[in-house]
Amino acid sequence: MYHSSTQRRHWTFRSEEELSRRRADANRRFRCKAVANGKVPDGPPEGGGRLFCLPPPHEELTICKYYEKRLLDFCSVFKPVMPRSVMGSACMYFKRFYLNNSVMEYHPRVIMLTCAFLACKVDEFNVSSAQFVGNLRESPLGQEKALEQILEYELLLIQQLNFHLIVHNPYRPFEGFLIDLKTRYPLLENPETLRKTADDFLSRVALTDACLLYTPSQIALTAILSSASRAGISMESYLSESLMLKENKASLSQLLDGMKCMKNLVKKYEPPHLEEVAVLKQKLEKCHSPELALNANTKKRKGYEDDEYFTKKSKIEEDEWTDDDFIE
Amino acid sequence: MDQYSILGRIGEGAHGIVFKAKNIETGETVALKKVALHKPKDGIPNQALREIKALQEIEENQHVVKLMDVFPHGTGFVLVFEYMLSDLSEVIRNSEQPLADAQVKSYMLMLLKGVEFCHANSIMHRDLKPANLLISSTGQLKIADFGLARIFTRDDEDRLYSHQVATRWYRAPELLYGARKYDEGVDLWAVGCIFAELLNNSPLFPGVNDIEQLCCVLRVLGTPNQKIWPESVELPDYKKISFKEKLPIPLEQVVPDASPQAVQLLKQFLVYPSKQRVRAAQALLHPYFFTPPLPAHHSELPIPQRGGKKTCPQHQREFHVEQPLEEALVDRELIAPYLMDF
Repeated sequence: MYHSSTQRRHWTFRSEEELSRRRADANRRFRCKAVANGKVPDGPPEGGGRLFCLPPPHEELTICKYYEKRLLDFCSVFKPVMPRSVMGSACMYFKRFYLNNSVMEYHPRVIMLTCAFLACKVDEFNVSSAQFVGNLRESPLGQEKALEQILEYELLLIQQLNFHLIVHNPYRPFEGFLIDLKTRYPLLENPETLRKTADDFLSRVALTDACLLYTPSQIALTAILSSASRAGISMESYLSESLMLKENKASLSQLLDGMKCMKNLVKKYEPPHLEEVAVLKQKLEKCHSPELALNANTKKRKGYEDDEYFTKKSKIEEDEWTDDDFIE
Repeated sequence: MDQYSILGRIGEGAHGIVFKAKNIETGETVALKKVALHKPKDGIPNQALREIKALQEIEENQHVVKLMDVFPHGTGFVLVFEYMLSDLSEVIRNSEQPLADAQVKSYMLMLLKGVEFCHANSIMHRDLKPANLLISSTGQLKIADFGLARIFTRDDEDRLYSHQVATRWYRAPELLYGARKYDEGVDLWAVGCIFAELLNNSPLFPGVNDIEQLCCVLRVLGTPNQKIWPESVELPDYKKISFKEKLPIPLEQVVPDASPQAVQLLKQFLVYPSKQRVRAAQALLHPYFFTPPLPAHHSELPIPQRGGKKTCPQHQREFHVEQPLEEALVDRELIAPYLMDF
């Protein structure tokens, strides 16, 4: 039930500003830690200090966007075919994780795979771990190493998710609205004609922050209404009569405002530019390189006692399986 | 973890050890369930995930054990539950004679309220049994151990579930026949088994293995056929085993001491087709709960100690208000050797 869900209580935020603030905080927290650890000298970025190499919040966001897209691509070609709800949960985990964490500390490449892995388990899409990493374009040895890393980060991930594992996706309410339209809204002859465009909307809105701001049913309804308006159909009476919002002016205008914002989010979404991403990825690799070792403090948390062993090994791993290893 | 001081070990769950502990700040006694990760190849066990999943999402209910907190610890994590004194299996084991009608009614009422709540929240427990029904220090019954719980969806027809769920004695017949698609009816079958166990003070279908388990059920309910259980022929293992034709035994003979209403309600749980089993919400309206003797108040229920110890007296000496004061005082001579010379 969405109403009593942890999603509603803890992971639905008031505004886009709040999301930016959280991300900026995460970025700042990590910078402070890096300075405190003496890994990076303090000083103004313009002065050419090494802090300059740390990506600022907006660059982090671009990196996240890029990996979110990769995550969805990875999921959509996954074999056996991954249910959409699993994809949705994985994507949500990823967004929630980087709301309070920095890509400089935890490499999004591992986190995104861990998100997908956890989502499979939580949504009871039962694939064995061997099957899971079998989806990476990798040698058997590389797959084994990838799995090892995923398992290393799994606990950290669920801690960062605050152990809130159930994700409510817009796909079920979407089907619900279609059924409702078929049974209670004769004005619309064949609601199924709306499906295709609405589906596209859902895929596009999945790349935005809408799931951190709106309820799944609001997202689903927006998908349907935007599909209808594209087809030149007005569904005003569905809102006012069938959903009984005629008397409730406040709720109606709130709903309409939300829909407008969501459409805006979709419109304004820009896929990350590949040249920009390439530059940022280099920066990111520097943050994670052993000589900077900014994430040194994380190793213990992930359960490894032998730091040296891990650093050496992880260096090799990162060389061996890179972004281009996913099946496209 | 620093917040808690361990008081002792309660037992071993499916995925870890359970400790009794005290919250240092609040003084509250809690049960800590430690989930250790020994880095098995599939990572965090599904059972632990299911339990967290199910319990995080539901609001509080009086008859479902409360997950108070989850926190990381070492290479795993710890689930914090409210502390419960005992469980229903101990109540049954420790009672010398069958429980009184009013007491059975009270347990059934609490059990059904908990089950109704779970089902209303789309959670199938899948492992209801007396040992998973905890009893609080005030006699309240609460459903626990959601390690096998599943969130079910009504529209999702193709999802297959595992049939290796539920402890054998309480496993529904469709599961015994290997069903991979089932519904919350499996919980209602278990409720029926628990009901009969409360009435008889002994388990209803105590099979020693899966085949024998089916025999036990068939012996009472008769061999199923297409007429009374149309879906049975589609079950994976239905044709693998055949039993001698048997007629059902009237339940009145199975629970000879039960009242007619009790038998009537029991009959509605123990039917082959899962869809025909009475739902928890409906069962709560059954006349059984409204005819005297009425369900006992939870304070009138037995509360055995953990580990099956008989209740031991709290005080070594009894004190009475009207007793002369001298008698209540400790004899000076007895403690003399321990007193320092002032």
